[in-house]
Amino acid sequence: MFRGFLIEILRSSIESIKANKLRSLLTTLGIVIGVMTVIGVMSVISGLKNNVANTFSQLGKNVLYVDKYPWSMGHMSREEWDKIRKRDNIDTKELEALKEYGTSLEYVSPLVTRNLNMNRGEKEAAEVEINGTSEDFDRIRNRNVKLGRFLSKDDLKYKRHVCVLGTKVVETLFPDENPVGNKVKIQGRQFNVIGVLEEKGEMMGWNMDNVAVIPFTTMTEFTGRSDRSITIAIYAENEEEATEEIRWILRGARNLKPGEEDDFSINSSEALITQFNQLTKTIFLISIAIAAISLIVGGIGIMNIMLVSVSERTREIGVRKAIGAKSSEILGQFLMESVVICLVGGFLGILLGASLTKLISIMSNGNLPFYIPIWSIFLGFGFCCSIGIFFGYYPARKASKLSPVEALRYE
Amino acid sequence: MSELIKMKNVTKVYPLGETEVHALTGVDLTIKKGEFISITGPSGSGKSTLMHIIGCLDIATSGSYFLQGKDVNKMNGNQLADIRKELIGFVFQDFYLLPDVPAWYNVSLPMIYNRVAPKERKEKAIRILKSVGLEDRVTHLPNQLSGGERQRVAIARALANEPEIIIADEPTGNLDSVRGEEILKILSDLHKKGKTIIIVSHEKYVAERGNKKIYLKDGRIERTN
Repeated sequence: MFRGFLIEILRSSIESIKANKLRSLLTTLGIVIGVMTVIGVMSVISGLKNNVANTFSQLGKNVLYVDKYPWSMGHMSREEWDKIRKRDNIDTKELEALKEYGTSLEYVSPLVTRNLNMNRGEKEAAEVEINGTSEDFDRIRNRNVKLGRFLSKDDLKYKRHVCVLGTKVVETLFPDENPVGNKVKIQGRQFNVIGVLEEKGEMMGWNMDNVAVIPFTTMTEFTGRSDRSITIAIYAENEEEATEEIRWILRGARNLKPGEEDDFSINSSEALITQFNQLTKTIFLISIAIAAISLIVGGIGIMNIMLVSVSERTREIGVRKAIGAKSSEILGQFLMESVVICLVGGFLGILLGASLTKLISIMSNGNLPFYIPIWSIFLGFGFCCSIGIFFGYYPARKASKLSPVEALRYE
Repeated sequence: MSELIKMKNVTKVYPLGETEVHALTGVDLTIKKGEFISITGPSGSGKSTLMHIIGCLDIATSGSYFLQGKDVNKMNGNQLADIRKELIGFVFQDFYLLPDVPAWYNVSLPMIYNRVAPKERKEKAIRILKSVGLEDRVTHLPNQLSGGERQRVAIARALANEPEIIIADEPTGNLDSVRGEEILKILSDLHKKGKTIIIVSHEKYVAERGNKKIYLKDGRIERTN
């Protein structure tokens, strides 16, 4: 029969909230805002995380990048930064060493990237990501050609002026023609189009089809700056093993003595994701703190209104006690009421938070997917229950301690 | 007839600021099962205080009070609540109905605390409402009822857990004489069915109804007849 009693106090709580709709709504506003923040922030961050993880994984799974600079710098002192800046450039010397001695490295490609305009007659494709690389790059980045062919060894050897285009560039420069066999210009130089890459789509504002690939050797010649460090992209099945091997080959190639620090960085998309996760963790904690403050303020509001309610209903409490209600039953009734108010607030908060997320998703043109983690909903409701109990306890206890005679006399 | 209530030298003292109010100054009272008692007296004579103590809403400052042989003074809050729930039905001058719920729900309220199943509660509430002549007022809210009807709902509520004792505090105080008479008739009928009735009133015609009339003055029983 205890369940029956619970249902009964739940029912009477809902009745009493319905009787004071506006008041209950205003009271619960703090809770609504708190829960809305939690849901909104968690959803956006979760969506962002998924998206970023996807984007970074486009840099290639099992792909390591040897660079002069580390991708994730974190906190770095002036001295550390200077040390990194003064490192020797990564050059073809290291590339050759890795190609020659690497046993666990499946593909090794140089990579130099510039954003340049491409022209064809009157037509111009602006800010195309031009990758100067080698014949293995398609396998490293998992980018197949759908038309024509990819770069070949000979293209590099003879520094040919050939290029493979992304679909976005093709759309702009060759709206109704097959580009293969045609010519385009990059900074006034003519290039033969030898192939078209398969479409990859857009991720977080990075259009992966607004690209062109040309031989690395051609690229360094015409960009003309041999003093710039290059990137070496490496595909390896076993990242850990490969990382070790790269280290030892590079240390040898760069004549580092035992005990000297590495003067190069081995980067992977994993490292980027790790750094991003650290960033979102901070944002996450800050918004949780804001939500917590708002929930506490909301809780105090609940406490206040419950005190008002207890005082307004003193007579009712007296009657209930006179007909046999125990103190614990009065306590239960008022606690239930405060929990129900909080849950209504929580429900509204989840609803608003979800709408907010949807709105952000729409405004971001789908770059932030609409995604609400189920656990954030449970967390929201859990929070509300706890707040209802915590802040409702004092008023409920006050109600339960009323003497029946005094409560009945109360005007 | 067995002794239901046995009080000896009961006093009640309320603190009032610096001083004390001696509401009851030594009451000896025995009530047998099935009696119809009226308690009367001028205001301030201690009628309400005595009623509260008899009804286990309050505890005497000193003296002894046995209800069905149990020492009420030694009971804790929960035990007092159980006594009120099972043994006593209250009828108040101002009815004290919950305003937002229909008549039947008001009547079913004591059964909630007695853990009666919902379906049974409603059926029984309607049955009791019928017995006080309110079969066509079951779903009305208190403010849709006349004063006399409200008091009948209150009596129905008092009967919900089939108590031994009905305590009515000025039950006709807010009613005209015709409605008041109706209420007294219901209480008389209940007495005939074997309930112990205790009416507190300062009105003479109400007090006259009692088989045993207790006259209180200055916190003690002045006469009984």
